[in-house]
Amino acid sequence: MTQVSSDAADTVGLVHRLLAASLGAWHIAGRVEREGERITLAAGDERLLFARGAPPFRWTVTLGGRERGVTSIAGLLRLVRRVVDPEHQGNRLRIAPARLTSS
Amino acid sequence: MIPVCVLTGFLGSGKTTLLAKLLKSPAFARTAVIINEFGEVGLDHDLIETSDESFVTLQTGCLCCSIRGDLVLTLSDILRRRDEGTVTPFERVVIETSGLADPAPILHAVMGDDALAERLTLAGVVTTVDAVHGADTLERQPESVKQVAVADRLVLTKTDLVPEHPAVVLDRLTALNPSAPVLPVLFGDVDPARLFDARIWDPSAPSLPSPACGAGLGKGNEPDRHSAHAHHDARIECFALIRDEPIPAVALTLFLEVLAEHCGADLLRLKGIVALAESPDRPAVIHGVQHMFHAPGFLERWPSDDRRSRLVFIARDLPREFAQALLDAIEAEVRETSKVHTEADKAGFQPNGSRS
Repeated sequence: MTQVSSDAADTVGLVHRLLAASLGAWHIAGRVEREGERITLAAGDERLLFARGAPPFRWTVTLGGRERGVTSIAGLLRLVRRVVDPEHQGNRLRIAPARLTSS
Repeated sequence: MIPVCVLTGFLGSGKTTLLAKLLKSPAFARTAVIINEFGEVGLDHDLIETSDESFVTLQTGCLCCSIRGDLVLTLSDILRRRDEGTVTPFERVVIETSGLADPAPILHAVMGDDALAERLTLAGVVTTVDAVHGADTLERQPESVKQVAVADRLVLTKTDLVPEHPAVVLDRLTALNPSAPVLPVLFGDVDPARLFDARIWDPSAPSLPSPACGAGLGKGNEPDRHSAHAHHDARIECFALIRDEPIPAVALTLFLEVLAEHCGADLLRLKGIVALAESPDRPAVIHGVQHMFHAPGFLERWPSDDRRSRLVFIARDLPREFAQALLDAIEAEVRETSKVHTEADKAGFQPNGSRS
């Protein structure tokens, strides 16, 4: 099995890899490139620029000249998906009331 | 809690034959059976004889399409009748799906109803596969692929009609769902205990996908694009993520939330045994079907010396790279956030930014 330690890459590198994998998972044609501590994602007519943010924001995302703060990976992906795949309707995680019989 | 087993399998794969045989077994007494048939007039229930202690009820239409609510009503109804003493006090429920059913919505119906959750628990999914036509069916019928993908037990039927266990169909089953044991049966003869003792995490079952898993993982864990079956399994893949180090509980939660949000419909099944940082000695068992998950169950101890976290995915169009990159990034984020908080605590910062 492939195994990647979460310490094996820097945070920007991890997000770079995640964004590239996300486009693949969502079947969106595009390109993700890293330059130093910044990441650029281009898909269709959209171009997003990512950089580390100052607390409380972990990331800043620049889209159409406007910069916005994002606090988490989950928020980052949600924003990206909304821009590059506006038709997508996400599901919310639902916890079943039924108990798990595991042992 | 009364266990509910879902028996599925494509049209003609031997579900009813298997069920009829099981219901004659004393070990399978006190079973309530719900048979779903696709069509206005059901026949299967007439083909099944039960002992006095079991009974069969019928639904027509396709469970997974329009009458999912009917399944909840039927389950509620047989529980009420059990309480009233008008039916035998059954000890298990078997839902036999129609051959065309997508099992996922049926599992949602069983898992997701608040009232039923107090009485019933999903015990497992058994899928029948015809040894003669199974490979062809898997090739042509996407429903059959999903039925195999969600199974806890795979039953290879009609093995009397083939000279030996057909390697092609066995390879397909192993590729689609390596964590489900394959039980070859002859004329429906099988020990009920071997079928319906399925647990979400079975220590005796292969815990990880084989190297030939999914869309064809060749040696070295690299995708083998030349695999004989890669072309027709290309959309369904089985893979595992493994972690040596315990995972913070919040990272696991965030991971599942993001998966559900972005890939919920394509997550056919996710099972896992996880070393949580907060509970390293008592592993958490997780189980989900699409975007619906059970709350984690905790084992008393690790079932073997292998104390790594293992998450097994069976998914459609969900690349391993995405799941892996997501878990890596979220784990890193949680550890980084935790480190910042720890350093702030050491420095004596208060939540309002002042120093103590």
